[in-house]
Parts: sequence; structure tokens; C-alpha cells
Amino acid sequence: MEEVLRIEDLHKSFADLAVLKGIDLAVNRGETIVILGASGSGKSTLLRCVNFMEIPSSGRIVMNGRAVGRAVDGKQTYSEKELTRLRARVGMVFQHFNLFPHMTARENVMEGPRTVLKLDPAECARRADTYLDKVGLAWKADAHPSELSGGQQQRIAIARALAMEPEVMLFDEATSALDPELVGEVLGTMKELADEGMTMLIVTHELGFAYTVADRVLFLSEGRILEQGTPAEVLTYPTQEGTKNFLRGHGSFRLPEPQLD
Amino acid sequence: MGYEWDFTVVLRDFDLLLLGLLNTLKVTGLALLFGVPLGLTLALLRLYGNWLVRIPVGLVIEFLRSTPPIAQLFWFFFALPILVGVEMDPFKASVLTFSLQSSAFFAEVFRGGIVSIDRGQWDAAKALGMSRNETLQRIILPQAVKRMIPAFLERAIELMKTTTLVGTISYADLLYEANSIAQSSYRTLEVFTVAAAMYFVVIFACSVAVQLLEARLTRPDESARH
Ligand SMILES: Nc1ncnc2c1ncn2[C@@H]1O[C@H](COP(=O)(O)OP(=O)(O)OP(=O)(O)O)[C@@H](O)[C@H]1O
Ligand SMILES: [Mg+2]
Repeated sequence: MEEVLRIEDLHKSFADLAVLKGIDLAVNRGETIVILGASGSGKSTLLRCVNFMEIPSSGRIVMNGRAVGRAVDGKQTYSEKELTRLRARVGMVFQHFNLFPHMTARENVMEGPRTVLKLDPAECARRADTYLDKVGLAWKADAHPSELSGGQQQRIAIARALAMEPEVMLFDEATSALDPELVGEVLGTMKELADEGMTMLIVTHELGFAYTVADRVLFLSEGRILEQGTPAEVLTYPTQEGTKNFLRGHGSFRLPEPQLD
Repeated sequence: MGYEWDFTVVLRDFDLLLLGLLNTLKVTGLALLFGVPLGLTLALLRLYGNWLVRIPVGLVIEFLRSTPPIAQLFWFFFALPILVGVEMDPFKASVLTFSLQSSAFFAEVFRGGIVSIDRGQWDAAKALGMSRNETLQRIILPQAVKRMIPAFLERAIELMKTTTLVGTISYADLLYEANSIAQSSYRTLEVFTVAAAMYFVVIFACSVAVQLLEARLTRPDESARH
């Protein structure tokens, strides 16, 4: 198996608040990893360190076998140029979509290829068509974000990230801001990506999705990985008290699976 | 007993009033032409410069905003030539003063517009790999400028009204011409009524035009629903 991303002894503090306290994680190409954890456990911070939206306080991120940054006196230092280039290879999808409201869906999807990759207009157009089609929204290409439902906006945001043809996709609670009836279409798009072999790190509270789609589930607690394993291991037979408590909280109102056939 | 209105003098000298209006528009237009880009530059320096840049730029902006425009005008017309030995005529002094003065106000309008844009927009652009300059150009400013249109218009109107001060250094703007016609003809009431109406027509027309523009620009994309 080919390793795409490795996180080594990652620490992140904001002023005196230590949020991540030593995360180690190796991610293989095509792997789908779901990250669970209570609010404030550091899930978003972990994702944001992977694409350097936040600069790690210490530790290393290794992409395709090459460490990001240079070691100077035992500490990684980063040039803005290198970070910009790295971010272009990692896609990110946000809880609140963050589409560019002054652009159409199509222009949103083309923005990265155009401004960052500086591809020629024909290639930008080709990517826009490909990825709008992939999320099933080619017919909304000329709509502005304000004319789209939340679910559609989030699918456009996924297309926008995919148009960069990234090696890894990060999803930070991509469905948490959606009305319940719109969650399914976004999770469906994410599952398709997983099935096609995209490498994904997904923060979500959708345990059903984690169970069916994840190759591996991590449980994050107070800035450390408390427990990890297959979905069955972590979600069905958790060994750590922290994981059990979390699952108890999420399971109190679980319905039996509907029998539809 | 009613006042006997008589507009014949005004009509006879209407071309002078028009010339005055043209000069008013010239000073206002040039001040906008220089003041808006300078204002944007000051705003960006104040927002993103290091402290060695930020602090002096902030001081200059605050200074220009909190000293009387007429004192600035006198300073540039009477004092600056002594200081640096350049020739200064009323036109140059007027354009210089109002370009700088309005740039300080536009700087604050730009800054307010830029910081009003949701942090998520910066995040999304950054995650795509865009640099700060690219993000400003492609994502932040286009949205900010749309939001700033009403504040811009208000500043531009304020600017045109403030340019009436240029008469004090004998620059022949609309008010200055009106004043001289009034003094020679004794038709004060008529002359100033017409002059006021001319200001009104120009400013009102501009403000209607800008409102139409704004309506056009903001139609399709109110900020994204959540
Ligand atoms: N930019 C920041 N500056 C200061 N503190 C921060 C910053 N970002 C996050 N934190 C703090 O770090 C801690 C972890 O935040 P993080 O957003 O990573 O948690 P999370 O697991 O994603 O939680 P949630 O489920 O609520 O999204 C929180 O206490 C938060 O207040
Ligand atoms: Mg979070």
C-alpha cells in the first residue's frame, strides 16, 4: 500500500491552549478515514494543520514521502510559497460551504484551476464541466450560490475542491449546517468519491456514514488519538471509556434501521 | 408685498455659472480619480503592512480626517510652496488637498468593506492555494466594493460639497462665480437660488445613477444562504 500522507508527532497550541498533543497518523492512497470526537477535541485543528491553514507548533507533515518545510535547529520552518503550493494539492470542504457569492457555480469551480494552477481557459472549462457533472449539478452551472439549496451549495463546494485534482480531500463537518433532508445528497457524493478511490479525511457526526464508508475510524480526545480501528472495532466494540461515553451520547436516540424492501 | 424675482442677470451670466460648475466637477472628478486608488492603497497598508508602515499610515489617515478641510487647503496653497519652493496655483492646490483629504475617507470606507467580508471567504481561497493578493483581487475586493457603494456615494457627495471651499483661494468654482455675479448685480437671491439648484441637479443625478448601478450589481448574489 502506498502512503500519501503522514502526520508525525503533531502539536498545535493557540497561545497557552494546547489543542493537539502529539498526533501520529499514516494515510494510504485511497483510504477513507473518519475522525470522531467531542466538541473542542481538536478535530478541525487537525484538518487545518494538514493543509497548513494553521501552522503546526511542532511535528511534521509528510506528503508523498517528502516532509513539508525545512528543519532549522530541529524545528520545521515553512515558506509561504511552499505552503500555497501544498494547499493546492489538498482539497478542503467546510461546514458553511464558503462558496464565492459573486461568482456562478461554474466560476466557483473554475477559480482554483484559473487563478492558482493558471491553466488555459479550455482546460478550466473542461474541469468545470467534469466536476459539476460529477456532483450532479451541471444543470446549475450558471446559478449563483444564493439561488442554490444548502445541499447543492455544498456539492458545488466539493466540485470546487475536486477541480484542483487534489491528492487528499478534507471534510470538516460538511453536513452539519444542512437541513436533515439535504444531508443525504452530500453524504452520497462523498461516498461516491470514497468508492472511486479518493483519499479522504472526514470529520463528521454521521455515525452511520462512518460505519458504512470509513476504512478506518479515529476517536480524538483532548488532542490525542484515543482509539482507532475499523468501523466495527471503534463503533461497535469500543475499548476506551472516552469512546464509549461519546457513543452513548450519540446513540441515545438511535432508531432501528428502516426495513425498506 | 412680494419680492420681484428677476432672473435676467442670471440668464445673461449663465455661461459663467456653467464654467464654474465645470471647475467644480473638474476638482471633484480629479480628487476622486486620485483619491480612490490612493485610499485603497492606504487601506491595504493599514490592514496588512507591518507596524512600521501601519502606524504612520494610520496617523496620516486620522490627521487628514480630523483637521478642517479649509486649514488643509490653506496649508497646501500658502505653506507648502514656502516649505518646498514649488509654484502652487489655486487649481493644483485644490486638487492636491481634496485628493489627499478624500483618500483618507476612502481608506476607511475600503477598510470597513474589506473587514466586513466573512472569514470563511479567506479560508476557502486559502484552501484552494490562493495567495493573499490573489484573494484580495479575486474574492474579497469584488464583494467589498459592492457593499461599499452607498458609503462611496456619500463620500463623493460630501466631497463635491466641500470643494466649495476652493473659492477662498480664488479658484473659480460654481459658488465663486455665483458670488461674484451676485456682488456685481445685486441679484443675490436669484443667483444663489440658481447655483444651489445646479448643485442639486448634479448631485441628485449622480446619486440616482449610482443607485441604479448598485441595484444592477447586487441583484443576483446576496451573500450565500447558510
Ligand atoms: N484560531 C484559534 N485561536 C484560538 N483558539 C482556537 C483556534 N481554533 C481553535 N481553537 C480552540 O482549540 C480547541 C479545539 O478546537 P477545534 O475547532 O479544533 O475543535 P473541534 O474538535 O473541531 O470542535 P467542534 O466539534 O466544536 O468543531 C477549542 O478549544 C478552540 O476554542
Ligand atoms: Mg470543528
